[in-house]
Amino acid sequence: MNSLSYWAVLFVASVRNIFTHKLKSAVVGLLMCFGTGLVVTGTALLDSMEDSMSKSITSSLAGHLQVYSAEAKDELALFGGMMMGREDIGRIANFEDLERVAEQVENVRAIVPMGIDIASITGGNETDRVADTLRTAVAARDQAQIDLLRLQLSLMADALRSEFEAKQAITADKEALAADLQNLDRLQSDAFWLSLSDDPELAIQFIETKIAPMSSDGLIVYLRYVGTDLDEFTKNFERFEIVKGEAVPAGHRGFLFAEKFYEDHVKHKVARDLDRIHRQVHEEEKTIAEDALLRTKVGQMSRQYRRISFQLRPDDAQNLTSELRTMMPEVRAKDGAEPSLEVLLQAFLEVNDQNLDERYAYFYESIAPKIELYKIKVGDVMTIRAYTRSGYLKAVNTKVYGTFNFRGLERSDLAAAANLMDIVTFRDLYGLMSETRREELEQIREEVGAAEIDRQNAEDTLFGGSGQSLVAAPEDTAGFDEFRGQDLAGIREDLAEAYNQRFDAETVARGVALNAAVVLEDPDRLDETKAALQAAFDRSGQPMKVVDWQTASGIVGQFIIVIRLVLYVAIFIIFLVALVIINNTMVMATMERTTEIGTLRAMGAQRSTVMTMFLFETVVLGLLAGVAGALGGALFVTWLGHVGIPAGNQDTLIFLFGGPRMYPAFGLANLAVGLVSILVVSLVSTLYPARLATRIPPVVAMQAKD
Amino acid sequence: MAPIVRIENVVKEYPLGNLVVRALQGVDLSIDRGEFTTIAGPSGSGKTTLLNLIGCVDVPTSGVVEIDGDSTSKLHDKELTRLRLHKIGFIFQSFNLVSVLDLFQNVEFPLLLQGGLTKKERELRVRDMVDKVGLTPQLRQRPNELSGGQRQRVAIARALVTKPKLVLADEPTANLDSVTGLAIIELMREMNAKESTTFIFSTHDPKVMEHASRIVHIVDGRIHSDERTDFLSSPLAETGGRAEAQAAP
Repeated sequence: MNSLSYWAVLFVASVRNIFTHKLKSAVVGLLMCFGTGLVVTGTALLDSMEDSMSKSITSSLAGHLQVYSAEAKDELALFGGMMMGREDIGRIANFEDLERVAEQVENVRAIVPMGIDIASITGGNETDRVADTLRTAVAARDQAQIDLLRLQLSLMADALRSEFEAKQAITADKEALAADLQNLDRLQSDAFWLSLSDDPELAIQFIETKIAPMSSDGLIVYLRYVGTDLDEFTKNFERFEIVKGEAVPAGHRGFLFAEKFYEDHVKHKVARDLDRIHRQVHEEEKTIAEDALLRTKVGQMSRQYRRISFQLRPDDAQNLTSELRTMMPEVRAKDGAEPSLEVLLQAFLEVNDQNLDERYAYFYESIAPKIELYKIKVGDVMTIRAYTRSGYLKAVNTKVYGTFNFRGLERSDLAAAANLMDIVTFRDLYGLMSETRREELEQIREEVGAAEIDRQNAEDTLFGGSGQSLVAAPEDTAGFDEFRGQDLAGIREDLAEAYNQRFDAETVARGVALNAAVVLEDPDRLDETKAALQAAFDRSGQPMKVVDWQTASGIVGQFIIVIRLVLYVAIFIIFLVALVIINNTMVMATMERTTEIGTLRAMGAQRSTVMTMFLFETVVLGLLAGVAGALGGALFVTWLGHVGIPAGNQDTLIFLFGGPRMYPAFGLANLAVGLVSILVVSLVSTLYPARLATRIPPVVAMQAKD
Repeated sequence: MAPIVRIENVVKEYPLGNLVVRALQGVDLSIDRGEFTTIAGPSGSGKTTLLNLIGCVDVPTSGVVEIDGDSTSKLHDKELTRLRLHKIGFIFQSFNLVSVLDLFQNVEFPLLLQGGLTKKERELRVRDMVDKVGLTPQLRQRPNELSGGQRQRVAIARALVTKPKLVLADEPTANLDSVTGLAIIELMREMNAKESTTFIFSTHDPKVMEHASRIVHIVDGRIHSDERTDFLSSPLAETGGRAEAQAAP
């Protein structure tokens, strides 16, 4: 066998060859260096991103693992999937059974029941709000307040009337319009306000049902929510924090808005627009003067002045008018007269780069407290509606306790994609019947005389001669008097009752959930625990699917896979190019060394020896360049780790970065992958030239005539 | 004892475009152990081709080339390489040293390829050989630090260090001035005598030719003449003479 010295001399020759053929080594070495640096940097960034994203997802909504019914028709997609939140993921009939199995599995810290669905909230419009204030004022016998509200309603009626009169000329449905105008007359009549003291609820219901629908500025917000065990959720999702209000107390029904969702969808439209303009000017360094989009936004905002003027009480309106006149003395009405509040407001909202900060401050200082800054305030009870699986529209009342954030993800829409609700209310809303509900339904069936009809006898029952009418003819009821004689106040109290109901831990556990989040003690053992959990469910006879957070998060979870794919394709292409260049350079170098190789062959060196020399050369060069590249990449990543990579306003990036900035770090694995891949690439690229070298016949040594 | 080189009716053809060039057209030659033979002839006569065939870096188109009893046309590349490694030493016109290795490493290289010696044994052999060619002071120098004559002496040391039975030198003095060239031939002659190694070299320099014990003239791919020289009477001829005696029928 060949002695160590044999290898040593080949090695020495190879190393010296590298330094002798400087140009070749420089070209090939730089390529290898760059390639390694790229692999190290790229994979380190990706790993860091995956790590950050995993924290974003696992600590916000998903936990480490998600469990849902094996009978699911669609795949669970926590952050939204192809079905836009209406995925059919089956259901977990009794969460308690699931919990019992999961708790036996080692490394499981907690299992939290969840139910995700979409719903809508409809807040009343301005008229509804005034009506509600009126109700309080009447109950408190606050005549001054009642008078103020009457004035406000009358002003609203005037605005609506002028709108309708203009509409009358062009509308086809003149009757409906006439009825509306009649109702407005009624609202402004003294008789109506006298009736307020006789039966206040009736009068207020008139405002709510006949007047309020005339203006369309009501709030309809669609939202995704997660019904969950809020106590367990708060305990196990470390990034959860309350921003406004308070957490839902244990055993209470309640609702928590995601802070960003609340700001973006529930806040007063003008305030929201102003916030956005303010943010773009200050954080993105845009100017209204130069940015056309921003200018358009300012224009749109200024046309929303009625959203403010309608909400102001008459006395506030008067004060604001005089304040705005002082602030902007140059503003006049079209005919040169003293400007009205609406003209002033429009002018006020026409902000520019110079007055933006001043007006922003003034808005929040002087206007915001007088208007309804949020359509639904913390502490309000709101009605939330959703379609059940069978297609019924269900509505429940729930109290808004506050808003929450996931720390670091404050500005991510994705993280704010779900609001939180207690699971008991979720079950009500999702159309999952509790015992009392079932009884109630039975009772209603009896009352209306509805009968269960089986298929075989359907025809007889429906068309047979029994003459019994299945449906009673509706009584002709019209006008606002349809509520007369009913205990309206009583019904309101009943509704109030529902969201005040308390429940115990057992109710939470014993019941339906759609999916469940599993939080682990040691996230590094995720795969192992996932398998153990799956096995445990299989054994227990509960057909469940256990998926990791990445799968469970839907499209978002696939982002990282896509990015990884893109990186790998890029690396592949770069390596392919490097391969071709290295190959060409080596072939040229081989040609230059024909005599030397021929001489070695003549002296008795076997082809394998020549091959070894070439491979040695590449490996040594690859190692030198690779180590340099890996160090370079590591340094670069370390530097990035210090300064951080800003996510900007890219929502997806914030989510992927796990916060507004990502601080990447590299691991030994990144270095190893970089080095190994560059060595493989350089070996592969040397195979052809090395083979070429072994084919050099020894006879060329003899032909060398200087 | 069989001759170290036996060539019988050897033909070597090269394709040259559409033509076939016949470099050797039926050569018969037998060289005995210990001979100091020169193959002479004008350029293009076929002397390098003949040397290539003897050196086992090429095989004949037809005919037999036997080196130390092995017929080269029957051997594969690997076996030919092994044959070269163990039985033949090469001295090239352009010296062909490995430029990245120093003098010692260049001389040691064939020993490493052969294997089988300890480091100490190798060092002894290399030092001894380098001493014989008179380059001990330059032991750690790289080829580009040596003069042409010195380089060729290194090449001689490298060719002889494995104690081959046959050393081939293709125009070993062509790239050297006449004084140095003669000194190199002297050295080769000395080695021939001391180690009783068979030397075959090609040249077209009459002064160099004079030193050979046998001159084989090749013209147009055929042996034109094959003569023993006066060199036989020189003091160094004794060993050569013995070889010749053995070869005589």
